[in-house]
Amino acid sequence: MPEALILGAGGFLGLHALDALRALGEEPRCGRRARSNVLGLRSRKARMASADLDDEASLVEAMRGCDRVLHLAGHYPRTSLDPATATRTGLEQSRRVLNAAAAAGVQRLVYVSSTATVAPNPEGLSDERHSYPSPPSHGLYHALKWQMERLFLDEQRFEVRVACPSGCLGPGDLRVGTSALLIALARGMDPPHPDGTVALVDARDVGQGLARLLLAERAPKRLILSAENHRLHELLCSVAPRYGVPEPSPALSAAEAIARADEEEARSVRENRRPALSREIVDLVVHGQPLSARLAEEQLGLRWTPLSQTLDALDAWARRLSLIPSAKDQPPCSAPPTRPASSASSPT
Amino acid sequence: MLSPAHQTRILGILTDLTAIPSAEIQPGDRLSEDLGMDSVTRMELVSMLAEQFDLDIELEEAVAVEDVRGILALAEARLGHG
Repeated sequence: MPEALILGAGGFLGLHALDALRALGEEPRCGRRARSNVLGLRSRKARMASADLDDEASLVEAMRGCDRVLHLAGHYPRTSLDPATATRTGLEQSRRVLNAAAAAGVQRLVYVSSTATVAPNPEGLSDERHSYPSPPSHGLYHALKWQMERLFLDEQRFEVRVACPSGCLGPGDLRVGTSALLIALARGMDPPHPDGTVALVDARDVGQGLARLLLAERAPKRLILSAENHRLHELLCSVAPRYGVPEPSPALSAAEAIARADEEEARSVRENRRPALSREIVDLVVHGQPLSARLAEEQLGLRWTPLSQTLDALDAWARRLSLIPSAKDQPPCSAPPTRPASSASSPT
Repeated sequence: MLSPAHQTRILGILTDLTAIPSAEIQPGDRLSEDLGMDSVTRMELVSMLAEQFDLDIELEEAVAVEDVRGILALAEARLGHG
């Protein structure tokens, strides 16, 4: 019987997608590289299959017998320091996935892209109709995500659907991606940051959205998954009491933040550590825009978890892993509600 | 104490991940500062340990491992003294 394969199943969003697919009665095959963290897949007793984006034959083998593929393993460069290599890697891996899916007889592939590919709408909220005509010049991350998404959208051999989740927050973000600034703030580190619009969404809602997009008979070709729009500095100030820490220092200008991130990334490579501020986060914030995900609500029946509840879940998880101090180590405070600058929709 | 065979296999995983010869790895070596492992590679280390020895390891235990002694202790706690 045909089944589904998840590429990137062991990652932050992959595990939430796996949980959501199981809740819908599916038992997908989970692709994994030889060297990857599969603790989450092991604890879920998931069925694993070797699948390496640098080895097309392994992808064909993993996809054999699958009619649907959920691809969350698109290249995410660790830094923006080497655009040529990152672009080549991202595009070559994307072509391998597409060619393998065609060779294995896959009928539908859902590719997880990014809201970095969504263009501004001068009249208000951006939605699925807003695309850049050519790669945006905001930095490597935007340009690469645009080029990769274009490859998938142009595919003609089988059906492709593209999901564009905004900044994902929630339990399980082991690589501390979107939540990096929040975690740093909670640790009392006064994180350097630019200001701009950030669109955010609960990773568990994204998992549900991806599962429904994979299974639905009819769905849009391109779909934004996003819940709330905020101004970053205002958001960090509003959540500081939640962690019993002072409000962060004022936001850096865009030029200052870009220079700081470039410097941090170069140092992080030399010292083999995470940058305190990464270039792709700066670019996403500086060029961020308010989004509407009404189509996902209407077409897939999705409802968005309010940010305050997402933060509660993120905090509980991060405290369990000692990523942030436990609540008893922080002064008591009443966390104010986080009010979106403008809602992508009405959270329910 | 872990059996020599188990210790050798665990040091082999460390060598695979760091390219540092097993003979040069000491129990007191810190995974990040001394062996140059970032947070992602540290998780891969614990994951590979779980896979090679078929162990169930919680994320909380994985993130708590900071040095070679810690990974050996985690293995010893699960494998016993075989």
